[in-house]
Amino acid sequence: MSEILEKIAYCVEFGKINQQSPYPPDMKGQLGADELTKEALDTGLAPEDILKKGLVIGMERIGIKFRENKVFVPQVLMSAKAMSTAIEHLKPFFQSGDVKRSGIFIIGTVAGDLHDIGKNLVSMMVEGNGWEVVDLGTDVSADKFVNAIKDNPGSHVGLSALLTTTMINMEHILKEVKAASPETRVLIGGAPVSEDFKNKIGADFYSPDPQGAVEYLNSLVA
Amino acid sequence: MTSKERTLKALAHKTPDRTPVDFGATAVTGIHVLAIERLREHFGFEKSPVRVIEPYQMLGEIDPELMEALQIDVIGLSPKNNMFGINNSGELKEFKTFWGQTVLLPKEFNTSFDDDGNLLIHPEGDLEAPASAKMPKASYFFDAVIRQEPIDESKLDPADNLEEFNPISDDDLEYWRKEIKKVKDTDKAVIANFGGTAFGDIALVPGLNLKNPKGIRDIAEWYMSVIMRPDYIHEIFSKQSDIALANLEKIHEVVQDKVDIAFLCGTDFGTQDSQFCGIDTLEEMYLPYYKKINDWIHENTNWKTFKHSCGAVEPFINSFIEAGFDILNPVQINATGMDPQHLKDTYGDSITFWGGGVDTQKVLAFGTEKEVINQVKENLRIFGKNGGYVFNTVHNIQANVPASNIIAMIETIKKVDG
Repeated sequence: MSEILEKIAYCVEFGKINQQSPYPPDMKGQLGADELTKEALDTGLAPEDILKKGLVIGMERIGIKFRENKVFVPQVLMSAKAMSTAIEHLKPFFQSGDVKRSGIFIIGTVAGDLHDIGKNLVSMMVEGNGWEVVDLGTDVSADKFVNAIKDNPGSHVGLSALLTTTMINMEHILKEVKAASPETRVLIGGAPVSEDFKNKIGADFYSPDPQGAVEYLNSLVA
Repeated sequence: MTSKERTLKALAHKTPDRTPVDFGATAVTGIHVLAIERLREHFGFEKSPVRVIEPYQMLGEIDPELMEALQIDVIGLSPKNNMFGINNSGELKEFKTFWGQTVLLPKEFNTSFDDDGNLLIHPEGDLEAPASAKMPKASYFFDAVIRQEPIDESKLDPADNLEEFNPISDDDLEYWRKEIKKVKDTDKAVIANFGGTAFGDIALVPGLNLKNPKGIRDIAEWYMSVIMRPDYIHEIFSKQSDIALANLEKIHEVVQDKVDIAFLCGTDFGTQDSQFCGIDTLEEMYLPYYKKINDWIHENTNWKTFKHSCGAVEPFINSFIEAGFDILNPVQINATGMDPQHLKDTYGDSITFWGGGVDTQKVLAFGTEKEVINQVKENLRIFGKNGGYVFNTVHNIQANVPASNIIAMIETIKKVDG
């Protein structure tokens, strides 16, 4: 891996957004993911390499550390912010088709649920791992999920819930999604959700951590 | 043995005649209005609208009749204004919820609807001010509407995040004088939430009672700030703790030792299987302020102090004890590392567990009556040994919990502990 790509991966892993960012303290004043990504593009590196050999590597490392409880929500949020700042530079190449992403992932919290920290973590992890993410936000109805799938053929869906009173809405949304698009894989997650619940409602995948969702999605396109 | 004696004995880690029970004394040990209506129906009580005592989570009032039926030993006192800055103790009005229940809410509880028909509540009930919380149609309570101005690092001022922390007014002191008068002859233990002592509680960070909140109000931004802008957070906590101590001093003069327990902080440090920060962050950013408040309380009052934190906080319990907390709630027994026997054996002599009686994510909400009975029996046996335990579920009883499971829980407590 080229030195600059490793630096980009390092900035994402440790949440160094840009030169001005005071975090992490031991990288104060150094270039961040923002400047390094721009520099990599300016020096002619392929945008797809910047994504897959820089950003994705950094996000994968933080995702694994998070799953192993070596880092916590704030560190992951910082990494995601560094990643999303860098990815802004790559967006023109996504639109032009120069960079091919792994697939499209639609995500939202289910009807009635406004709690989106977990959903956002998954969304950012998946995006940072090379997927296009369509984030429908919070309190999303079955109709909205179904319409988003119609707009994005071949996509997969993530349903998130924090509450025991709203997780039951996953079952209805799952049924509607599968009725409209049987081949769409539906992933579920959130504090009260479990493998048992996944089996009960017949969803395709459950993970207690975002990295699990990333690995499952990647396995679908491997 | 009175309820107060029973609770105080348990808090002193001695074995009372039976395990004391709390339902409804705090905003984290309560029961949703719908579950209360079902319980009242079960007991054959007169059908009347349930009063909402905590509108953010739509927790209902447990009146003396229900209190007796549930064998409750603790009563709670809350600040004059609710989380939306609306006087919670004034006139009431009837209000029809999305789920068709008629409840009682403060007269100034002014709401509107967004384009999708979701319910919006406005700070101080001022409809001119942007809504600070929303209840989706498919939900049973509110959640914050994030109002975050763009952040300019050079202009960030900790004072902006201190707008809601102020020296206590004479009006509020008078309120506490009246509240304490109401409970002066009670035989129940009294827990009070005086407000102002929660450091970085994510439910409060968005400033639901403020018309134009400034500073850091976005939840993710706040979590990042704890590691990215530690000096900013320290300054908030430092000033907040100074204000809180000055207020507690004045409040103590009014309420004296008629209050038994002070609810201090509901900041959640646990997720389902981990923590929201490392122990180094907890010790550096939070513990000095917890210690400052706890030390003053223990030096100047007889109050025991109550810390709430959901999730897998086992690795933090020693730190909570070191910071001077007497009580830990809600004891989320289904989170990683929170096995009841392990908690009791390891920390049971040093901290009182208040909660953890039955898991609410699976067993109480979705389990069978038999599963509820078995878990309640087992947890009473484990946690109740040698005192140091107050029975409550893991956090509030939600709207979807079947009345039959709540009854199974109550009957089991009565059978086991008589």
